Amino acid sequence: MTFDWSVVLDNLPLLLQGALVTVALTVATMALAIPGGLLLAALRLSPVAVVRAAATAFVEFFRATPLILQLYWTFYVLPVFLDVRLSAWTTALVGLTCNISAFNSETFRAGITSLRQGQWNAGLALGMSRPQVFFKIVLPQAVMRVLPALASTWVSLFKDTSLVSVIAVADLSYVALRLRAETYRILEVLTAMAALYWLMGYPQAKLVDWIHRRFKVVE
Amino acid sequence: MTDRPILRVLDLVKSYSGQRAVDGVSLEVRQREVVCLIGPSGSGKSTFLRCLNALERADSGEVQFAGELMDPGRRDIRQLRRRMGMVFQNFELFPHLTALRNVAIGPVTVLGAARAQADVLARELLRKVGLADHALKHPAQLSGGQQQRVAIARALAMSPELMLFDEPTSALDPETVGEVLSVMKALADEGMTMVVVTHEMDFARRVGERIVVFDRGRVIEAGTPRQIFEAPRVARTREFLSHLGWHGESTVPAEPG
Repeated sequence: MTFDWSVVLDNLPLLLQGALVTVALTVATMALAIPGGLLLAALRLSPVAVVRAAATAFVEFFRATPLILQLYWTFYVLPVFLDVRLSAWTTALVGLTCNISAFNSETFRAGITSLRQGQWNAGLALGMSRPQVFFKIVLPQAVMRVLPALASTWVSLFKDTSLVSVIAVADLSYVALRLRAETYRILEVLTAMAALYWLMGYPQAKLVDWIHRRFKVVE
Repeated sequence: MTDRPILRVLDLVKSYSGQRAVDGVSLEVRQREVVCLIGPSGSGKSTFLRCLNALERADSGEVQFAGELMDPGRRDIRQLRRRMGMVFQNFELFPHLTALRNVAIGPVTVLGAARAQADVLARELLRKVGLADHALKHPAQLSGGQQQRVAIARALAMSPELMLFDEPTSALDPETVGEVLSVMKALADEGMTMVVVTHEMDFARRVGERIVVFDRGRVIEAGTPRQIFEAPRVARTREFLSHLGWHGESTVPAEPG
């Protein structure tokens, strides 16, 4: 059996461009899904039952269905309902953001409800309003507490972006899989793909470990 | 003790799932008075205290503070609440903030004070409770007694007209109880009006001007420290005090004459 790595080397710029798309999609998704998750968490803790129910329905839909289905659905079905045609990239971003926002909202909600009632009472007793207590006392502590969980979600997201290749977004997976189909150099291309994902993913996983240690809750 | 009442509680009732935690309590507190609430755990003292600044909504009865009704539903409840300071059993300092910021956050957030000005006040108050050197530490770096003193400074930063203490020394190591009690004693000596829920009978006897005994959500006896600790009239009071190992006759020296 002979290997021909030239197929990888010749197409390295293309693969790196795919890798860049993967990173950009991860960053953009998380940048939107953090405020999105906070908003959903706040809505789910709302005193208004209808608001709470709507947010819960959204979260439970995106948590309980496969991401790949959500991407297909956003790509093929949503344009029919809304009469808009989104680019593949925008579709991927919308689909991933909805999905990760749903997960982040659960993370934030857990962080917010993990704080004792006493912290609320201490703020209220000083004469603060509930929003003041929420933003100055509760939220900063909740975010610190859930940082490790958010970091884990980040790493999952980084890998899950590979699913957007099914709607022809030219991320690392899409580029690599197309190269494989065109050249039939399955071993070389898939190995290069694995190496690139690992080179990018491993430092992130290590960073997450560090965050877990650094932000352990100390009471 | 001719000052007029600052706090008037009338027939307060508060239930949790059918259980009456506070069962028709009335109380008046005059300005500059120190009232100690004592009684067994679960007798409704802490719930009663939280009703005073409307952190809890009473089922019936009313609380009047400086002539205003402490109704959690009224729009300006925050303006009234901030005039009462509250100190909690578990300190409830804000762990993400330094001692200085914990003390300054009230004036900055609620009163709109400038940060520099609030910091000056906060440093002054931390000095007052003996923690001038700890201003930039976070709560986790402080002992329990130090945390509780920061919490007292935090409440004082709002210049309250009345201070509520909810078992302020119950969560402390024995060796740090004294430093908190002496800060409270100094506060009482300055003329602060205080309502103190406590299990520290010695503090209640020395600093309290009136002792109110709670049992099962009711006030079963009230009077001067001497009356309560030396000659309690109600059997349940005697029982409670002796459970704590308090025997008035043996620890209070006999009065001449």
